[in-house]
Amino acid sequence: MAAGADAGAGAAAGSAGREETADAIRLEALEAREGRAFRLAGWLSVTAGLIWPFQAWVIAALVASWLNQRAGVEDAVTSALAFLALAALRALIEHRAGGIVFAAADRVVAAERAAAVARESRRAEGGPGSAALGALLAQKLPMLLPYLTRYRPARLRTVVLPAVILLITLWFSWAAALILVVAGPMIPAFMALIGMKAREASQKQMAEIGDLNTLLMERLGALVDIRLLDAGGRTARDFEARAEGLRQRTMAVLRIAFLSSTVLELFASLGIAMVAVFVGFSLLGYLRFGTWAGPLGAGEGIFLLLLAPEFFQPLRDVAAAWHDRAAALAVAGELAGAEAAAVAPVAVLGAGGPAARLSGPASVVVRDVEIRRGGRGLRLPELSLDAGERLAVTGLSGSGKSTLLAAVAGLVPVASGAVLVAGAPLSEANADAWRARIAWVGQAPHFLDRSLAENLDPRGTGADLAPALEAARAGDVVARLPGGLQARLGESGGGISGGEARRLMLARALAAGPDLVLADEPTADLDPETADAVISALMALGVKGVGLIVATHDPALIAAMGRELRL
Amino acid sequence: MRPLWQVWRLIARARPGVLVAGLGLEVVVLAAGVGLLGLSGWFIAATGAAGLAGLGLAFNVFGPAAGVRGLAIARTAGRYGERLLTHEAVLSALAALRVDLLRRQAAAGLEQMLRLRGAVALNRMTADVDALDGVALRLVLPFVAALAVLGLAVLLLWVAVGPEVALAVTGIFVVAGAGVLWLTARLGAAPSVQAERAGQALRREAIDMIRARVELTVHGRMADQRARVLAEDASARAAARALDRVDRGAGLALALVVAGAVAAAMALGGALVAGGAISGPVAALAVFVALALAEITPALQRGMAELGRMRDAAGRVMEGVEGTAAAPGAEGAATGGGIEVSALTFRRPGAERTVLDGLSFRVAPREAVALAGPSGTGKSTLLWVLAGLLPAEAGEVRIAGARVGDLGEADLRGRLALLPQRSALVAGTVMENLALARDGVSEAEAWAALTAAGLDAVIRDKGGLGATLGEAGAGLSGGEQRRLALARVLLRRPAVLLLDEPTEGLDAATAERVLAGIRDFLPDAAILTASHRAAELAWADRVIRLV
Repeated sequence: MAAGADAGAGAAAGSAGREETADAIRLEALEAREGRAFRLAGWLSVTAGLIWPFQAWVIAALVASWLNQRAGVEDAVTSALAFLALAALRALIEHRAGGIVFAAADRVVAAERAAAVARESRRAEGGPGSAALGALLAQKLPMLLPYLTRYRPARLRTVVLPAVILLITLWFSWAAALILVVAGPMIPAFMALIGMKAREASQKQMAEIGDLNTLLMERLGALVDIRLLDAGGRTARDFEARAEGLRQRTMAVLRIAFLSSTVLELFASLGIAMVAVFVGFSLLGYLRFGTWAGPLGAGEGIFLLLLAPEFFQPLRDVAAAWHDRAAALAVAGELAGAEAAAVAPVAVLGAGGPAARLSGPASVVVRDVEIRRGGRGLRLPELSLDAGERLAVTGLSGSGKSTLLAAVAGLVPVASGAVLVAGAPLSEANADAWRARIAWVGQAPHFLDRSLAENLDPRGTGADLAPALEAARAGDVVARLPGGLQARLGESGGGISGGEARRLMLARALAAGPDLVLADEPTADLDPETADAVISALMALGVKGVGLIVATHDPALIAAMGRELRL
Repeated sequence: MRPLWQVWRLIARARPGVLVAGLGLEVVVLAAGVGLLGLSGWFIAATGAAGLAGLGLAFNVFGPAAGVRGLAIARTAGRYGERLLTHEAVLSALAALRVDLLRRQAAAGLEQMLRLRGAVALNRMTADVDALDGVALRLVLPFVAALAVLGLAVLLLWVAVGPEVALAVTGIFVVAGAGVLWLTARLGAAPSVQAERAGQALRREAIDMIRARVELTVHGRMADQRARVLAEDASARAAARALDRVDRGAGLALALVVAGAVAAAMALGGALVAGGAISGPVAALAVFVALALAEITPALQRGMAELGRMRDAAGRVMEGVEGTAAAPGAEGAATGGGIEVSALTFRRPGAERTVLDGLSFRVAPREAVALAGPSGTGKSTLLWVLAGLLPAEAGEVRIAGARVGDLGEADLRGRLALLPQRSALVAGTVMENLALARDGVSEAEAWAALTAAGLDAVIRDKGGLGATLGEAGAGLSGGEQRRLALARVLLRRPAVLLLDEPTEGLDAATAERVLAGIRDFLPDAAILTASHRAAELAWADRVIRLV
């Protein structure tokens, strides 16, 4: 029977393995990190399971003595204490095993999370969106815990405990053992069938969780428009369909989980009932076969009856945790997918950490550079900029203005050619130091959930922000905000206008005291007077010897830069 | 505890019949489990006793055997049905709750919406709502079912075995079990709240990390942001470890409670058998019932361990659920009237200076008026006040003849449309973005609006109304996105149209074409724009200067 259960489980794992080899391999790799701890905890839980036959024997012997009218009160109390002591031992071992397996599972999940954070924070393009990554880290990775803490130990118990209980049963009665052998192997066959469905259902549920998060994030970003368009009802209806979809997907997963445990309970009940009937009829004298020598005693009968459920218990534990495995496989599949998409060339250069400023003149040369974006090559124009020089990059949308700025900042790796900064090729080693000398004014401002002061001084230098705010004509913006520099703005600068957000971003760039400013459309969304003010602030930087590359359409800004690179 | 109670009521009200049926089945399952083990234990012991006494052939095996079969089937089928019913009821109530949360979020004030951190709201609608399924599944239902089954067990043991055994077995379960559960809830409260909060903070920091990836990297703060994410992870893990300790401790204690009840049944049963008060099989019944009662504890143990997390999440989710019914608006006929503003004053919350001070003006139907003035003089603010999303401090605004305060939300939006400086598009097709304006937009209307906004050629080049846009309208340039948002606003065909710098970012020729298109598309509307550009000021019939 041991071989039977093992082979059955093996067959189930085999068919699953062929279907989703990549996910299963990823899951195994993830478990292998803490293999020792998982094995130790598994064997401890097996040991705890081996105590039950002794407890069953104590009960059976006591009840048999009652039936034989030989029992004294002391026997009963001794048996009760023995039972209690064994139960305590079993519970303590399980407690310890649970502690070990939880700690190991926790380390596995933490390592995966740290790896995902490191990978996504340095990705130059593509990858999961912000909401999807949040869902992966905080919602999906924890789904590995039930698999690691419940399914794994249960699987080891399935291999050992039924075999041991079968041998004990066989010692007393070959017929009872035969009943268990017949009922047992049906279970893995059914589980294999159910397992395939379970994985499919889990994958759909994972996908739905991601979709729901992304949809919600988009709609939450468009709340004001939805309100103005009186589209709240329509949006809620869309979302209702999604929420209902998630409910259905979740129910599909649960239905399979419930079905698998019901199938198991049915077979277990059948097996136990047959053992009970065999034992009962033997005791009554209807049946005179099935034992090795002589009729079955009452104590032995009760002992066999108490053992039978424990033969099935590990299988039931595996069934109860079956959808945990399906969920874990789905998560492993997502991890494998995210990793496959993050092959080395798409990571940004450098770690994005603080660094001492790169020495040398802040010059930039772009020579023969090709960038790979979304699998297509994009050729950047030749460019040579001395320290303190100014340049306007112009051209149609999509001609690569923003990509050029990103390449100069080391945010996209080059496929061929070289970007030379301060005379040296921009590389993994010097990118952080180079970026310590530049300031960035992006197209879409993003405010972190911290005070405005912290947002304007991201490097935490503690410098006085007032002059920079004045130069960027942003002083009045701050003055009007409740709380001033301590105010917290919405993600994309909610609470202020687009032009105001742009001026704040410019103030941030000026406050950093850079040697080179990279600005993407710094005068878009600004009225002519403010745009003029911003241009003169940028020009004032030039007087201080600060270099400047702007991507722009604005004729006034192009004229002020003096030099134009048309793409 | 009040929010938890509110959550329970909300779940119970959604599908009361299903929930009660599920509860009934749960009682049946637990009772059948107890009956099954008790009956079969008694059956074997009784057959053993009969065999020993040589009465084997006279023993009626069919009654008890049928009972065992019936209980086994009731238990298996009941378990399946109970799980399906209760999960169905709870999950549909929670799906409805998610939708309700989004509705409430969409009806919030402008300041609140603008300052909204998407990640926080996202947490509330996903993680917090997920946490609430335990209120019914692992708290209320198992608790009621456990009490019912303990009651049945007392009756059974009292009648069949005797009051001493009945009281001892169930007494140990009730007193010691309740003590352990109470302690679990107490010790687990702080770590379970902490684990959930840190998990949500982890998600917020991760979202910030991706959204601000470029800025964080350029400023050398990405390493710091990674550390922030991992710090939240460490805090969540520490709390989860503490919670696991409490949980395993509770498991250990409950195993001892069960063993204690069984041992008590063994010792007391033994004493009664020795005294000749009861027979051996009856004493065995008590031992087996005590063993079977172990089944009531696991669900309660889990529920108690996560009680703190559920309470915390319920507090956030139920905040303001009651009393958010929208006020019904006055049904005034939208007959002409345009915009009438008298003595309007506005001040930002907490600010000393007023932004608008005693402003009065009028825009008639078929008239286009431009608001001019330097940045920060309140042009945009005035449009938001007129749109009813910022509250005026004093004065009166009438839109198409009715006071803004008297109009219901739907009525006001039906009369008035505002194109703000920044509009958000959503991922999907061009048509899906336009259809956000109202139900039943036809293709012809969509093209007419696109033509008025000067975007028809661009959309035709991209592949027509079915062309898909990425997240937040990616795929169109900034100027094209604005014109698509303008077309969307035009499709509402409002009596009053408010535009915040409608031609920003367009070259002069396109700007003039767009402005003419707006007048052609909505000839009867009263139009008010906030404007810098000479083209817009020249196009307007009249200019109001704010200082």
